[in-house]
Amino acid sequence: MTGRAERIGLLALPGLSFLAVIYALPLFMLLLKSVQIDGQFSFAEYVAFFSDSYNLSVLWRTVRVALLTTGLALIIAYPTAIVMARAKGFWLSVFLVAMVLPMSVGVVVKAFAWTILFRTRGVLNDTLMSLGITDAPIRMLFTETALIIGAANVFLPFMVLPIYAVLRQMDSRLPEAAASLGATPVFRFMNVTLPLSLPGVVAGCAFTFSLAISMYVIPSLIVGERQQTLSMLTARSFLYLRNEALGATISSILLLIAISVVLTSSWAANRLGARQ
Amino acid sequence: MEQIVVPHMKDAIGADILFEGTKSSVNLEKMSSNKDAPYLSVVQMDDPVMIQAVEADLLTPITSGPVPNMSDLRPDAVHMDGMWCNYVQPWAGVAYNTDFKSGGVASWEDLWAPEAKGQLIIPSLQNTEGMWTLFMSAMLGSGKPFSEAQYEIDAAFEKLEELKPNLLSVYTTMSQAFNLLEQGEITMLAGNFSSYTLPRKATGVPVDLAAPSEGIFAMPSGICLVKGGPNAELAEAYVNEMLGPDMQAAIADFATSVPANTTVSAGAIIPDGVPIYAPDWAFVAANRRAWIERFDKLMAI
Repeated sequence: MTGRAERIGLLALPGLSFLAVIYALPLFMLLLKSVQIDGQFSFAEYVAFFSDSYNLSVLWRTVRVALLTTGLALIIAYPTAIVMARAKGFWLSVFLVAMVLPMSVGVVVKAFAWTILFRTRGVLNDTLMSLGITDAPIRMLFTETALIIGAANVFLPFMVLPIYAVLRQMDSRLPEAAASLGATPVFRFMNVTLPLSLPGVVAGCAFTFSLAISMYVIPSLIVGERQQTLSMLTARSFLYLRNEALGATISSILLLIAISVVLTSSWAANRLGARQ
Repeated sequence: MEQIVVPHMKDAIGADILFEGTKSSVNLEKMSSNKDAPYLSVVQMDDPVMIQAVEADLLTPITSGPVPNMSDLRPDAVHMDGMWCNYVQPWAGVAYNTDFKSGGVASWEDLWAPEAKGQLIIPSLQNTEGMWTLFMSAMLGSGKPFSEAQYEIDAAFEKLEELKPNLLSVYTTMSQAFNLLEQGEITMLAGNFSSYTLPRKATGVPVDLAAPSEGIFAMPSGICLVKGGPNAELAEAYVNEMLGPDMQAAIADFATSVPANTTVSAGAIIPDGVPIYAPDWAFVAANRRAWIERFDKLMAI
């Protein structure tokens, strides 16, 4: 590394120091607590956690909800990102504001708003019945479907923006060149646009999955205590059971899943980037 | 309550209150985490959590020397040799929506009635008010009087399992569950208390609090001094004011609760002809963690 490059590298120092103190150190201490019982090194808490069928059902629900939330967000986000990448001037500003503005509304407020939408005598049920699609109100509140819809709504900007950023960089003449060679719209999308946008898709999925798997307030408000997630179990362990080792164990499992996804997606993004 | 307490304390003892409102269990965690250098002076929380705080050596006793108003309290409002006092006592029953359940809730058995399918929310055992559904399940399940039934926890869980078809949800955030009751999404909210339901009723919301025939419960609202906390003298002066006639009358009226100070006649009146129960909080504190785990597994979908 040259002297100039080394000096530029120093610019990363504040960020790295901040993360080391605020993120890495406490997490390391948490990890340590999960493998220490009465001062002795032990995996007993992990064995106990994985031996309990209830914990396994919570683990599966947490992963399932995170995967479905990511999938739903991707389905909604991709077309939105295409439109945004092609938008200019006023309309681009409208889209960007529409993406960013909902993030300023707290999750608690959103959860109460969804309650109005999803309730038995709510807008959605009234509409379905007035259109003759359903005869009686459908139970929507406190269901996993409501949770996935709500979570996808909250995390949508984290999926849209990375895909938009990649599509915006894409040379718009490439699909046109494919078209001039006789490629159909579907062929152009599958073989030109989609492969080129994959790094953005991977980044968006990593963001959304990491946020969805660790969310606490959203499931607490939308599905309540009867459908617990790993984050809710963590809070319960620390605050109510006062079992720090169990709380640290569940946190570490959650962290391990999130890190695996981020590393895998980072590797995938690099591979996809290199191929292009 | 903050709007009553803060100006009074400024006038009476010259104290500026830094209010840090949260759940009792979170307060306990804050006290426990900062045991070596406490930053809280006074904490107000529920009795079962107070017991845990005493066991963790986090409290210092309230004494009648610096807190003379303590002498006017009902004897049952002073606990563990003054480790904490109850400053008010709301009563708990079953909150219901008057538009959709105009006949009220005559019996706790109404919670189990077939017509209540999907119409009920109960508190988690993580919330102190969650204990009322558990204890009433114990009474109904065992057929024993409360004094004995409160220890029949297996019978309580068996009876609770029968409640599952009627449950829309189990809450830890009470305001959200109450909102659903007000909207008519559910007709009953078990274990709710006078300091929450009755002020809402007074604003014209279609809710009321039933005192079913089997009995109601005394909600524990405690106040304590943190061991080694800052401004010790001011903290004692604050507790003294909270237990004094002016604050007792104001809080009891505001929170529709029964005052703990015997010289005060204000606030809520306990419904006539219905027994009011106060459980063995030491038994609750000793077993609560195991009950929470068992409850969560039982109620899981």
